[in-house]
Amino acid sequence: MQATPTTNLRRPNHWFDANEIWVWLNAGALALSVCTVAFILLLIAFNGLTHFWPQPLYEITYRDADDRSVTLIGQRVETDTLSRTQFTEAGGDASRLPENANQVERWLFKTGNRRLNPPDFRWVYRHDIITQAQPETLTSIERVEWGYAFGRIEALRFLSNETPGAPLSAVTGAELQPVLQSTLQRLNDTRDAIATLESGTIKQISSELQALRLQQRAMQLSASADATNRQAQLRAEEQILLQTYAEQETILSGLLSSLAGSELLVQIQNGQQHTIDLADTLRVSYPNRMGFVDKAVQFTSNIWRFLSEDPREANTEGGVFPAIFGTVLMVLLMSVVVTPIGVITAVYLHEYATRGPLIRVLRIAISNLAGVPSIVYGVFGLGFFVYFLGGNIDQLFYQAALPAPTFGTPGLFWASLTLALLTVPVVIVSTEEGLARIPMALREGSLALGATRAETLLQVVLPMASPAILTGVILAVARAAGEVAPLMLVGVVKLAPALPIDGEFPFLHLDRKFMHLGFHIYDVGFQSPNVEAARPLVYATALLLITIIVSLNLAAITLRHRLEQRYRSFE
Amino acid sequence: MVTPAEQKGVIPHTLSADRSARKRALLDQAVRYLVTTGGITVLAAVVLIFVYLLWTVAPAFAPASITPSHQLSVLPRSAALVDISESGEVALRISTDGVIEFYEVQQGTPLAAYDLGVPISKAQRVYPTLNRYALLDTTNRLWLVQTDFEVVFEGNVRKVVPRLEPAFGQQPIALGATAAFDAHLANDTLTIASVDGARLSLLRYTNVEAGFPLLDASETSYLHESPIAHAYLGPRNEWIFLQSENNSLHVVGIRDFTHIETIFQTQLGAPERRVTALTPLLGRQSIMVADDRGSLAQWSVVRDSLGFRLQPIRSFELQHGVHTLLAEPRRKGVFAATGDGHLHLLYPAAGNIVAEQAATMTSPVVSAISPRADLLLASPAADRLTLYQLHNEHPELSFSALWRQVWYEGYAAPVYSWQSSSADNDFEPKFSLVPLLFGTLKAAFYALLFALPLAIMGAIYTAYFMAPELRAWIKPGIEIMAALPTVILGFIGGLWLAPIIESELASVLTAFIAVPLALLSVAVAWSATPPSIRRRVPGGFALVVIPAIIVSVSLSFQLGPVFENLFFFGDSRAWLREVAGLDYAQRNALVVGMVMGLAVIPPIFSIAEDAIHGVPQHLINGSLALGATPWQTLTQVVLLTAGPGIFAAVMVGVGRAVGETMIVLMATGNTPIMDINIFEGMRTFAANIAVELPETEVDSSHYRILFLTALVLFVITFAFNTMAEIVRERLRSHYGRL
Repeated sequence: MQATPTTNLRRPNHWFDANEIWVWLNAGALALSVCTVAFILLLIAFNGLTHFWPQPLYEITYRDADDRSVTLIGQRVETDTLSRTQFTEAGGDASRLPENANQVERWLFKTGNRRLNPPDFRWVYRHDIITQAQPETLTSIERVEWGYAFGRIEALRFLSNETPGAPLSAVTGAELQPVLQSTLQRLNDTRDAIATLESGTIKQISSELQALRLQQRAMQLSASADATNRQAQLRAEEQILLQTYAEQETILSGLLSSLAGSELLVQIQNGQQHTIDLADTLRVSYPNRMGFVDKAVQFTSNIWRFLSEDPREANTEGGVFPAIFGTVLMVLLMSVVVTPIGVITAVYLHEYATRGPLIRVLRIAISNLAGVPSIVYGVFGLGFFVYFLGGNIDQLFYQAALPAPTFGTPGLFWASLTLALLTVPVVIVSTEEGLARIPMALREGSLALGATRAETLLQVVLPMASPAILTGVILAVARAAGEVAPLMLVGVVKLAPALPIDGEFPFLHLDRKFMHLGFHIYDVGFQSPNVEAARPLVYATALLLITIIVSLNLAAITLRHRLEQRYRSFE
Repeated sequence: MVTPAEQKGVIPHTLSADRSARKRALLDQAVRYLVTTGGITVLAAVVLIFVYLLWTVAPAFAPASITPSHQLSVLPRSAALVDISESGEVALRISTDGVIEFYEVQQGTPLAAYDLGVPISKAQRVYPTLNRYALLDTTNRLWLVQTDFEVVFEGNVRKVVPRLEPAFGQQPIALGATAAFDAHLANDTLTIASVDGARLSLLRYTNVEAGFPLLDASETSYLHESPIAHAYLGPRNEWIFLQSENNSLHVVGIRDFTHIETIFQTQLGAPERRVTALTPLLGRQSIMVADDRGSLAQWSVVRDSLGFRLQPIRSFELQHGVHTLLAEPRRKGVFAATGDGHLHLLYPAAGNIVAEQAATMTSPVVSAISPRADLLLASPAADRLTLYQLHNEHPELSFSALWRQVWYEGYAAPVYSWQSSSADNDFEPKFSLVPLLFGTLKAAFYALLFALPLAIMGAIYTAYFMAPELRAWIKPGIEIMAALPTVILGFIGGLWLAPIIESELASVLTAFIAVPLALLSVAVAWSATPPSIRRRVPGGFALVVIPAIIVSVSLSFQLGPVFENLFFFGDSRAWLREVAGLDYAQRNALVVGMVMGLAVIPPIFSIAEDAIHGVPQHLINGSLALGATPWQTLTQVVLLTAGPGIFAAVMVGVGRAVGETMIVLMATGNTPIMDINIFEGMRTFAANIAVELPETEVDSSHYRILFLTALVLFVITFAFNTMAEIVRERLRSHYGRL
C-alpha cells in the first residue's frame, strides 16, 4: 500500500497532526478486508489442493479409553491441541497426562475400512500413542463402494468358476505387483466396456421403447381411423426392440460375470484379515513408497480424475464432471439469452432514448433487477416459467406424457432463463459503459456521410462496443456460475441420471435436470450423510469454482483495461 | 428482382436508389422499434415479477363464500347421516330405516342402494377415517361399514360406481343400551365408546386389519359422576371427552383399561347459558363449544409443567344461538349454523369468521362437509338434499394469523411461531411471519454491523487518500471480492468458521478487541513517524499494517485461553450459559454477521467510493486552501457532500443483506426462533423459501404464503434499491451543477 496520501492534498507544515490517525485507521480497515479475502482464497486453495496430494499412511498402536492396545492404519487428516480443561471436559482421562502438561495434542485419523471398523474418523491423543510407523508395505485401496481400504496386501487369489469361493491359485511376493496391476487394468477396461454398453446401446433402446409407448398413448388419445393398423405396427416395433434389448442384456451379464473371479487378501488394522473383491477395486497404491515425483504424478492424475469422473457414493467420492458440464452448459444457454436483451436495452438507453421520466423509471428498474434477492428470481422462475409456461407447454405439446411433466418441472432451460433475467443488468451496465466511451465524433461522422442511425449503430457503434459487450457477458457468466439459491428451485439436482447432452434425439435436452458446482458444494457439505468424509471434496470443488469465477473476472477486468487504453487514443 | 425498365437501362438509377433508400429507411425504422421494445422489456420484466408474485399471492386473501347450489330430489326417508365422497361426486345418505343410498351429486341420479335390514338409530364416521361408518341399530348392535368408489369408463364416459361393504367382517358388534357412542381407529387399534346415562362402556380391538374380522377385544366400563350427553375419543386413544347435561366437561384417561379416571374437569361457560353444540376439531386436541346465545369457544388440551388441562384459547360471538357445529374433515375449520338460519365458516387459528351466508337452516339438520371442504350437504327434509358450494381455499391465512400472536392448540400461551409442515396429518400449521421477519432483520443487522465500518472506511481511504495507481489495483480487487460465490462464503462460515468460533470463543472475542486496537496503535505510530522515514519504507503503510493484523489475530488465539481462564472460569460457553443466561448454537448470528458482512462489503464499498471520489476537486482544493487539514476537509466538506451517496450505499447494503440466501442457509441452524442473542441462530425469509418451496404442493396455502414472503422480500429490497437509485441520481446531477 502506498505510503503517501494523494498527491493533490497540501498537508499542513508540521508533520504531527492528530487527525491523521483516522486516515490511517481507514487504511487499516481496507487492509483488513483485503487480508480476509486473501486469507479465504488461500484457505480454500490449500485445503483444496492437499486433497489431491497423496498422504502417507500411518500404522499406530495406542491405548484406547478402556486401556486396550489398538492398532490402527490410516491417514492423519488433522492435528489439534486442547487445553487441559477442554481435555477433561471431553471425557479424557487426566491421569494419563503428564503432570505439568497444559496442552493436549490430538490427531484425527481417517481409518478407511468404513464397513468393518466404524467410525472411519477417529481422534487419538498424542500421549496415548505407543508406537507409530509408516511402513512401506501399507497399501491404499480405492473401492467402488465403502470408500478406501487401508492395509497390507498378502495375496491375490483367483477363484474357480465351478465351486464358488474355492481359490484356484494365489499370487504372493514379488509376482504380486505386476499381476495385480495387469488384472486391475483388465477389470477397469471391462468396467469401461460395461459403462459404454449401459449408457450407449441399452439406454438408447430403452428410450426408444419409451418413445414408442408415448406414441401408443398419443394414438389412444387421438383415436383416429387407421389407429388399429398403426397400433399393430407399433407393437411389432416394440417386439423387435425388446428382443434386441434382451440380446444386449446377455452381453452385459457376460461382461459382468467376467468381472468376478479374483480377490485380494488384505491384512487390515489389528491383524484382521479381510478379502476384497477385485471387481470392487478401482486402484491400489503404496503412498509410503512414493517419492516426490511419484506423488506429483499421482497428484496430477488425481486432479484429472476429479475433473473427468462421475461422482460415487452419494457424491462423497469420485469426480465432479457432471457438475462442471451442467454449469458450463447452463451458463452458455443463459448467455445466448442474456446477450441480445442486455445489449438492446443498453443501446436503447444510450443511443435511442431521450432524457425523461421513462429513462429514469428504466434505470430504477435496472438497478432493482440487480438488487432483488436472487431467491426471488428462483420463486418467480418456479412459479412463472416452470409451472405456468412449462405447464402450458406440456398441455400443448407433450400431452401423451402427462401426467408426468416434461417442461412443467424444473429443468435446464428454465434455470437458464431465470439466470438470464438475473444477470441482464450486468450486461446492460457493461455495454452502456462501452457505448459511453465511443466518441460522439465517430457517430456524427457516420451520420454525416449519410448513414442512417441503424447503419451507424450496426456498422460503427456496436463493432466498437463489442469488447465491452464481451466483458459484460463474461461478468454475467461469472455471476451465474456462482449463483445457487434460485437454481435450487428451478432445476438443479444433487445427482442427475443423465447429462443434458447425449447421442439421443434431440441431443440437447432442455427439459432435463442438471448438476451444478455451487449446488454440489452446498449439497455435499451440508446434506451428505458423512460430512467429515466429504469435506476435502467440498474444498476441492470450491477451489474449482473459485478458479473458474476469478479467472472469468480477471479476463473481464483485463479486457476492460485494454479497452480503456484503446479509447484513450481517441481522445 | 430486375425490372424490365432497368434492363433497358434508360431509367436513371435514382429509382433503384430510391428503393434502396426505402429499404434503408425501413431497416432504420425496424431497428428503432426493435431497440425501443427491447429496452422496455427490462421494465416489463420487473413489472412481470411483481405482478406474477401478487397474482399468486392474491387468492390466499380472496374472501371465502357459502353459495346455495342446488337441491336433489330423493326418495322420502329420514336421514341419520349424510356424507360426500372424497372426489365430491357422490352423495351418501344413511337413513333410519336401514337403507343406505348413493346419489350423483350434480343430477341427483341414484347410483346404488343397500338395505341393512334393520332400522338404525344413530350413525357416525369412524374417526379419523373418511370412508368408514359405524351404524347403531335399534337393538344396540353396531355395524361397521365402508364405502368404496370405483371409476370406470363406458366408452369415453367416466362413471363412478359406489359400493358399500362391511369394514371388519360381516358380524355386528353387540353393545349394551346406548344413548351415544364414538368410534376411533388409530395405529391399528379400534376403540368404541358407548354411553348410557352415567355409564361409559369401552371396547377396544387391537391389531385391526381392514376387511378382516375384529379380534383381540378388551372391554371395560366406568361409572361417571353425572349422566353423559356426548363422548368423544381423544387422539391415540389416550383419553375421552365426556360432556354432561349440566355444561360440565370431563377428560377421562382411558389408556389403561384397568385404571380409568378423570384427569381434568371444567365448566363450559357460565351456568345461565346452555351448551347447544359441541364438536372436536381435526386431531381432537381441541373442542369447539357453542351455546344458546351464539358464543363459540375453542377449548384446547394443554400439557405443560402445570399438568394436563383444558384451556379456552379463543372465542367468537355470533348473532344467535348455534344449533349445528361441523368440523372440517381435513382441516381445523368449523361450520356453524345459528338459530336465525345463517351459515358460518370459521377458522379458529386464523381468528376469524371466514364466511357468512343467510339461509334457512334454523334448527339442527343432518349435514356434512366434503373431505375437500368445498361442498356442504344437508338433509333439511326427508325428500330432498341441499347442496352449498364452499369457496374456502385458504382459511389459514389472515392478517392476524400472519402477523399477530396466535394461541395454537396445545400451547400454554399465544405465540409467534413458524412451523409450516409436519409428518402428522392433523398437525396445525403455524404461519406467523414474525419470526422470519425478525430473523431476516437480525441477520442483516449483524452483517451490517461488521460490513458498514469496514466498507465505508475502506471507501473513504480508497477514494480520498489513495494514490491513483494503487486505486487502479484496489478496485478490481474489491470486484473479485464481490464475485466470490456466496455458496463458498456460506460453506466457509458453516463448516470452517463456526466450529472454530465454537471451540475458541474466547480467542475470537479477544480478536474483536485486539484487531481494532492493533489497527489504531499502528495508525498512531505511523502518523507519528516523520514522512522522511515513511517514504523510505518499501510498500509503505501496508508493510506495517498487514503484519499488525496477522500478529494481533494470532496473539488473540494465544491469549484467548488465558482470558478464558481469568474471566470465564476456563469455559466461555459454560459462562455464557450459566452466568449470562445466553444459549449458544454452533451456527449463529455471529458467524452469519462475519461471513455475510464480507459479502455485503463490496457493493457498499463500490457505491460509497464512487460518491466520495465524485466530489468536485475545487471544493476540496478550496477547503485545503483555507487551511483545513485533509482530515478536516474530509469530515466537513467531502463526507457532507458525498453523504447522500454513502446513504445510498448503506441502502444497497441493507437490500443485499436482507435477501442473501446461501450464507444464511449454510451458516445458521435455520431455526425460526426470536432471540436477539448473537450466539443463537435464526431463519430468514430467503432461507425459508429455499428450504421449503421445493417440497410444497403447488397452490396450497403454504405455497402461496412462501410466494408472499418472496413478495415481501421483493417489496423491501425494491424500496431500498429505489431509494438508493433516486438518491444517487440526485447526487449525480448535484455534482454536475457544482
